[in-house]
Amino acid sequence: MKTRFNFIFIAILSVLLVSPAFQSMHAQDKKAKKVKKAKVRLKASYLKIMDGAVLLDFSASAKIKRKNVKVKNIELTVYNTTDDAKIVLGKVRTNSNGKATFTVKGGIKSLVADTTGTFNISATFKGNDHFKKAKKSIRFKNATILAKLVTKDSINYISATFKVGDSVVAGQDLIVQLDRLFKPLTIGDEFHQTDANGTILVPIEAGLPGIDGILQLEVVLADHDDYGNIKAIVNATIGKVIVDESTFNDRTMWSPRNKTPIFLLIFPNLLILGIWSLIIYLFINLFKISKN
Amino acid sequence: MNQYDKLLNDLAPKKFGKLGVIWTCFLVAITIAGIIAYIDQIIKGQVVTNMRDYALWGVYISSFVFFVATSFVSSVGVAILRLTDNKWRTPIVRIAEIISLASICMAGLTIVIDMARPDRILNTMIYARLQSPITWDVIIIPTSIAVTFLLLFFPLLPDFAILKNKYKKENKPFLSKIYAKLALNYTGTPKQEKIVKKSIKIVALMIIPIGLILQTVDAWLFSTTYRIGWDSTNLAPYFIAGAFVAGLGALILAVAVIRKAYKLEEYITEFHFDKLGKFLALACLTYLYFNVNEYMIPAYTSTIDEATHLNALFTGHYAPLFWFVTVGGLIVPIIIMMFKKGRKPGPMLFVGLLVVVTSWWKRYLIVTPTLLHPFLPIQGVPESWHHYFPSMHEWIISAATLAMALLIITILVRYLPIIAIAKTAEERGIKITDKNDTDEN
Repeated sequence: MKTRFNFIFIAILSVLLVSPAFQSMHAQDKKAKKVKKAKVRLKASYLKIMDGAVLLDFSASAKIKRKNVKVKNIELTVYNTTDDAKIVLGKVRTNSNGKATFTVKGGIKSLVADTTGTFNISATFKGNDHFKKAKKSIRFKNATILAKLVTKDSINYISATFKVGDSVVAGQDLIVQLDRLFKPLTIGDEFHQTDANGTILVPIEAGLPGIDGILQLEVVLADHDDYGNIKAIVNATIGKVIVDESTFNDRTMWSPRNKTPIFLLIFPNLLILGIWSLIIYLFINLFKISKN
Repeated sequence: MNQYDKLLNDLAPKKFGKLGVIWTCFLVAITIAGIIAYIDQIIKGQVVTNMRDYALWGVYISSFVFFVATSFVSSVGVAILRLTDNKWRTPIVRIAEIISLASICMAGLTIVIDMARPDRILNTMIYARLQSPITWDVIIIPTSIAVTFLLLFFPLLPDFAILKNKYKKENKPFLSKIYAKLALNYTGTPKQEKIVKKSIKIVALMIIPIGLILQTVDAWLFSTTYRIGWDSTNLAPYFIAGAFVAGLGALILAVAVIRKAYKLEEYITEFHFDKLGKFLALACLTYLYFNVNEYMIPAYTSTIDEATHLNALFTGHYAPLFWFVTVGGLIVPIIIMMFKKGRKPGPMLFVGLLVVVTSWWKRYLIVTPTLLHPFLPIQGVPESWHHYFPSMHEWIISAATLAMALLIITILVRYLPIIAIAKTAEERGIKITDKNDTDEN
């Protein structure tokens, strides 16, 4: 009997001792699972605006539970690497869509190329509690698009020449578009190939509307393996002036009360005055009856 | 008993019998329940209702539109008959005026109930925009109350004077004093008589455009909102025709009940029911015409949104109610009233009840299904918000507003001569034997 009690005692004690240990192990395992970091995938692209800034666009995403999610609010450090140096250009943070744009305000001139004339830009993320560290590099060479407005026989054209260094490049596809609020409007064909002089000449349709008649015409080199994205902007006052049709300052039925239409101030108020004058007159009649 | 005494005895206010007292207590009980529910609504907010982002108007606005419509009876039933000098109107005009006053007062109150916090009524004045139909509504409802009151009060003056003398003779000084106060020292002098006649003419003229403006503004509250079922240029005449039906239905019902309760068969005869029946038949036909316009053209053009709305009415969730109000509230009354036998008091009581009930549900159908089918669906709201059925608070409060309207009518019927004594005496060639008694209705 005594042996049996000893056995039960040892069994209970074992359960009590083993259980916390097991729980502790399980907790550690859970903790290990918790701290498993996701891999961040960085994408980078380069856009050079002629006579303007260089924009470096980054996007960060990660695969979590088999779903691609945007990685927001992570800090990326942007470097310009040369043959023997790594220059920090600055830092940028991703937005709620996992996107970040770093502006090189000094333009291409403020970047340093390597001995082959190639610019090497890299962005690094140093990692955090949820994501592993990540890095993305892009390389590009300098090229230029020189665009201008030309008028021949009362027809407006946009002329653009694509150059690498001092040499013109023939047979290169360029896009001509008009800047619009939601999406650029393509002018003419989708692509216009440069001729032997490295030039395109694209007619601009008359009557395109623009604020104050100004059209922001753009000649774009898109997703080039060597030169990335380049955009030349020409502001031309050849558009049809957009007449502001806003009724914001007018007296309308949908305006605030300080802009009530005049007719609505006059007629209903006259009507109200007329009716209430009669009502008052009728009440006065009641008074007259009582005093008669 | 001479003719005048008999007339006075028949038409002077009478004490309620047992049934009348039970009826009044019943209305008071519902009103108290409604006040308790309303206080709870003020404390907890409109979360106690089932109105949400979709159905932002519900049963309160349905009741409001119903009351506004019913109040139209004084424009059509009283003023037009008075101005066209239709003699048969005399026994029914005061009942119509009482219904109008009770309805328009409750319409104003129902709007305040719908505002959740009653102090918000001040906002409609402080921040009023003259472009907004809500502002027009805020202006026209008090105006209607004032004019409807005057339309009831002026013709009452000679009767108050008669009652003052009657109760004085019967040695009832308290009642005599009350009616003397109400009579405003009216003794029937030529000058007083002239003022009363002139005032009645003015107020009878005023009530017609005011009634039309009231119904139109009520319709514009909806039609100026870009929603399926409301966005219609037809809506104002549609509402006027509907008010014509609702008002006359309520009048016929009230006339039938009061006639029976006060034993007024000698004064409100089958001839009056026959006339009212024809009048209501005309109203129902007019409203049916507008209904066909209101539903057939959208069904014909049938855009996706229109089709969704109409399907909900014709064959969907609201179909039983829709066909009940259309067939029960319009087609059945028209068929009944086509026959002379259908225009007898018994069938007319049934028709009046049917028209009043269906008129209320018609307003519910105008307000609710449209709100559940907006052009742009509201994002991120629970599924239950896509449907609407009034909560217990809403039912109790709405029932109380109806009970309060009936209570006002009941109290006025108890203390006012519901058929004009002086006018009836004049029409029947009965000489008013009391000195100071007078004329006009």
